[in-house]
Amino acid sequence: MKKHIENKTYHVEILPPKQDTEKLETDLENFSVKFNRVMESGYCACLTDNAMGNLAFQGTEMIEELGLEPRKDLVMIHLNTFHTKGDLDRILDSCRTLKIRQLLVISGDGSDRLPKLSPADVGATDTEAVTSVELLRYIGREYPGDFELGVAFNPYEPEEHEFAKMERKLAAGAVFIITQPVIERHEVVDRLLAKYPGIPVIVEAWMSKKIDLLSEAVGYEIKTATDPFDPIATLKILHKNYLGCGVYLSLLGFKTQYDLIKDTWQ
Amino acid sequence: MKIVVCVKQVPGSNDAKIDPETKRIVREGIKAVTNPFDTYAVEEAVRIKEKIGGEVVVLTMGPPRADIVLREGISVGADKAVLLSDRAFGGSDTWATSYALAKAIEKIGGVDLVICGKQAIDGDTAQVGPGIAAQLGWPQATYVMEVPRLSEDSIDVKRMHEDGWDLCRIALPAVLTVVKDINQPRIPTLRGRLAAQKIGIPTWTAADIGADSALIGLNGSPTRVVKTNPPPAREKASMKLDGTPADSARKLVHELRLRSLV
Repeated sequence: MKKHIENKTYHVEILPPKQDTEKLETDLENFSVKFNRVMESGYCACLTDNAMGNLAFQGTEMIEELGLEPRKDLVMIHLNTFHTKGDLDRILDSCRTLKIRQLLVISGDGSDRLPKLSPADVGATDTEAVTSVELLRYIGREYPGDFELGVAFNPYEPEEHEFAKMERKLAAGAVFIITQPVIERHEVVDRLLAKYPGIPVIVEAWMSKKIDLLSEAVGYEIKTATDPFDPIATLKILHKNYLGCGVYLSLLGFKTQYDLIKDTWQ
Repeated sequence: MKIVVCVKQVPGSNDAKIDPETKRIVREGIKAVTNPFDTYAVEEAVRIKEKIGGEVVVLTMGPPRADIVLREGISVGADKAVLLSDRAFGGSDTWATSYALAKAIEKIGGVDLVICGKQAIDGDTAQVGPGIAAQLGWPQATYVMEVPRLSEDSIDVKRMHEDGWDLCRIALPAVLTVVKDINQPRIPTLRGRLAAQKIGIPTWTAADIGADSALIGLNGSPTRVVKTNPPPAREKASMKLDGTPADSARKLVHELRLRSLV
């Protein structure tokens, strides 16, 4: 992950098609185009796992079924706790086969349709529910050395609680951190960087113009300096404020924004 | 073992309206989904097939677009699908529907087991599974929560009830209706979805299954819905939980449990 930061490699989020899509062929084609474009750019494609609790196809099966070619160390798979044990192992085995090393391990958003890992599934005896901590321990134990594991940091949660969780995540094997989207600067992210100077941190940039969606997602009103919200301008400010960090681009517009980001990370 | 799973297309929304004239659910403009209880039936059938071999056929009665729920069944492991679709089936109540489905099951032939969800979430009658058993003259077990044993000529099932469960052995062929405790339905893979899109699904009419026109549709339905009202809107309420965070959390869990929410 340090190399990504040194090489100014963007992390570009791509959402696999939802299970209930009525235009599967089109969505698969769009996914392929986006994935290949990110690979050609030398960026890291970050494939989400049932984002927002919406049932979607898995990143690894998309790569396998569509015959996509992940470039070495340029694909990151999100992995949450809403899987059966069988599916979890299949995803991890596929990642290993595809030589995908980077996993973002998160607790995730559930839904009625999604199964949930039980503590017994991941060999946890000291908890009633599986979180990213138990999942990290399981992956580290069952797939030693195969993966580089990252975790999420939410600066909008109560700070003491979030830092305590981060301690557990790092103790469980996490080696890099990706924040929730921040606009320009966030003092809690500043404290995260000060507390863990040796750990690569990737700050998430909100690339949608709909800033109110971010407010809804994090549960707080996000105020911005630009009105209407300008994601590209804000991305540039984020780079200036977080020089030593990587950047994760969420909801990036491939048609309108992709070509504009080429020169933003100087 | 040849297993038929009966599935139903239901509105995938809580905002379904009822036509005041026909008393039927207005399905136009509302996205249809597989009846959630039927997904457990499909999963159980596929698990049995994976365990002892055989074939799973998903069957539904509805308009042409009901093929969506059949393709969902194929995407998670069913082998074949049959759509019963004919204007002559329109207006069928649960008895006439059971008759049509039973005739289709006879036409499929060589069926050892029929599995249905315990009920559909739109009609909520829980009558079609038992109705099929009655039409076929087969034994049935409802509210099945586990299938601990299966042989060529009989099946053991645990039937859930308020105070626990009964272990029953029934001769095959038989009809089961299942509850959601029976399994965790798998999520379709992309490969499964793509295969399901390509599969050909035969459409059978009333004539194809040799149905007696006096026993299907409105003519064959001994019951009529004479009045339907949507349930009253749920009242919103709030409750303040005082005390330490630990006390509040305990009270919250207690209140949620009282409402069977956790």
